[in-house]
Amino acid sequence: MSTLARIGPAGQDPAGRHSPGNGSPGADSPGRDTLGRDSFDSDSPGAPPAIEAAGLTKQYRRHTALSDCSLAVPQGSICAVIGPNGAGKTTLLRLLCGLAEASGGTARVLGATPRQAPAFLSEVGYLAQEMPLYRRLPAEDHIKIGAHLNARWDGQSARDRLRALDIPLDRPVGTLSGGQRAQVALSLVLAKKPRVLLLDEPVAALDPLARRGFLATIMAAAAEAEGSLTIALSSHLIADIERVCDHIILLAAARVQLCGDIGSLLAQHKVLIGPKKDIAPVEREHTVISASAAGRQATLLVRLGGPLIDPAYQAEDVGLEELVLGYMDAAAPGAPARPRGAGLSTLTTATSTEEDR
Amino acid sequence: MTWVTWRLYRLPGAIALALLAAFAAVELTTGLRMASAWHHLLATCGDSGTMEGDGTCDGGSVIGVLGNDMRVLSISVPLIIGVLLGAPLAAHEMETGTTRFTWTQGITRSRWLLVKAGWLLLAAAICAGAVSALVTFWSGPVNAMRGDQFSGAFFDTQGVAPVGYAVFATALGIAAGALLRRTLPAIAVTIAGFAGIRLLIVDAVRPHLMPAVTSITGLVQGPTSPGITWFLSSGIIGPSGQPLSLVKDGVGVGVDGLPIPLSAMPAACQKLAPAAITAGPPAKGAPDPVAALTSCLSHAGFRQSITYQPGWRYWPFQGIEAGIYLLLAAALVAVAWYAIRRRDA
Repeated sequence: MSTLARIGPAGQDPAGRHSPGNGSPGADSPGRDTLGRDSFDSDSPGAPPAIEAAGLTKQYRRHTALSDCSLAVPQGSICAVIGPNGAGKTTLLRLLCGLAEASGGTARVLGATPRQAPAFLSEVGYLAQEMPLYRRLPAEDHIKIGAHLNARWDGQSARDRLRALDIPLDRPVGTLSGGQRAQVALSLVLAKKPRVLLLDEPVAALDPLARRGFLATIMAAAAEAEGSLTIALSSHLIADIERVCDHIILLAAARVQLCGDIGSLLAQHKVLIGPKKDIAPVEREHTVISASAAGRQATLLVRLGGPLIDPAYQAEDVGLEELVLGYMDAAAPGAPARPRGAGLSTLTTATSTEEDR
Repeated sequence: MTWVTWRLYRLPGAIALALLAAFAAVELTTGLRMASAWHHLLATCGDSGTMEGDGTCDGGSVIGVLGNDMRVLSISVPLIIGVLLGAPLAAHEMETGTTRFTWTQGITRSRWLLVKAGWLLLAAAICAGAVSALVTFWSGPVNAMRGDQFSGAFFDTQGVAPVGYAVFATALGIAAGALLRRTLPAIAVTIAGFAGIRLLIVDAVRPHLMPAVTSITGLVQGPTSPGITWFLSSGIIGPSGQPLSLVKDGVGVGVDGLPIPLSAMPAACQKLAPAAITAGPPAKGAPDPVAALTSCLSHAGFRQSITYQPGWRYWPFQGIEAGIYLLLAAALVAVAWYAIRRRDA
């Protein structure tokens, strides 16, 4: 679909100041246009975000895994954490579940700082990428272990789910297939009845069929919880994300590049196709995320800062993959540097104030 | 967490019990046979002190070879327990990633560590205690005959000391595993650390657990042995009561032939020294130059001293040493607890 000019959602903040937490609050249905609303403002009705971070930083001895990340995920949403390898996805999820400790900034999950306390741990389910289980123990023993380690535990639901999937409860999980093991691990983490579920690359190692089954289980669990379960899952499979998620956190180069409701973000961005010329006029109004040229034609991915007037450009809707790749390109080490106040810097407006303090 | 520990260690526990049963079978059968042979020997030959290596009343003949090998081998039991039980406790779970499963359940890491470590330390103590009790039983006749229960292979395998060693080795393994996060390096550190601490305490600490007793005797009659003792050192004391430094090229005097410098002797005795130095074994009926020198020094007020730990201190020493190891173990568990709590998983 292509339209000319003047596609600007109403209510856009002319300064282009969008906090990374920009997105629809919990009560909004995904895809509804809620541009300009800043979820850090307390004017949004409904519950506080299930997951929140401000200036979150994780420094290891040699490198910075996560730098000055601010984000918010509303309750009840399914949020994709996406980004190239090494972008900090695993680190972010580990900080949120309390397995790792932040070196700076704050993280809040259900209003509480991740910490070593049963009250916190029992609310948060975490599934590590390698789906760690005791390989010699059968699923049934894992279910019993969970019953001993959790005050709230629904072992029967895990058994029922695994039986429905024809996964043997009495065989050592090391002898199960990767897809079956993933289902066991997922059933265990769901048996905790968490209110926040953090899944680290849960489908990366699965074949397409197992992946579909796994995602179906996640979506069924989310539907069953009726909005009381917030899920963050990291992945780099955009097709899966489009199917399952309504929110996205895009990490690249250890920073949050994009965070918000997928529908809103897609509405905020356009691909402009036009003649190759100085893009400064466009940059005055909008934020150019990435630009490429082929022959005499230029293609710009822009975040709209107001109505689009220049008739020289043809505006097209942007797909999630295009959007994600555009931001990843812009954050890649070889990307052309853009002055502050343009390009990526708008995305970190909320965090740059943290830096300035 | 108790049930979880039980579930994870069911199989190793059964294996340990089987090994313990085999060990008990050997020690009990050979021990009982040896005890009856020993009592028979005591009845026919008399005092145990006269039974070393003299034909028909040779006490050594009753010692069962297999049982004795087992006794010597049991010195390594605490280390084996530490390596198999302690080192993998945290490290193996970190290596396989299962900590990411257990540490995100509804209990804290502290509880995970302390409950698991608590049960395994108790298991280590029970295993080592059982082995030690069997060895102590088996060694009854040997102890009676040899009377040197302070020496390494006796002291270190009997009584309560091995319990302390095993608890310490296990705690060392736990701490090394928690810090290094990998099983093999943790095992290496456990072996090196355990051996190092054990040798250090045997050589440098154990002799001083209680102030040693020094008794002074005449040069001629030599020291009298007050029961079973742990002999530490002997020396020569001058007429004014000062201990003489022993020198390599000195003149051997006293019962033990301790070498003291010639210059320390009074002039009257110095004259006798050259003859004593060059003297071979004394011929029958001829005057003995060594005895003459000793007698001269004895008259001049020289005495011999002996420093030792009395035999009755065996059990206090056992208790103190076990206590030291238990304290070290507690410190190591605290290190592991700190490492697990503070560091990222």
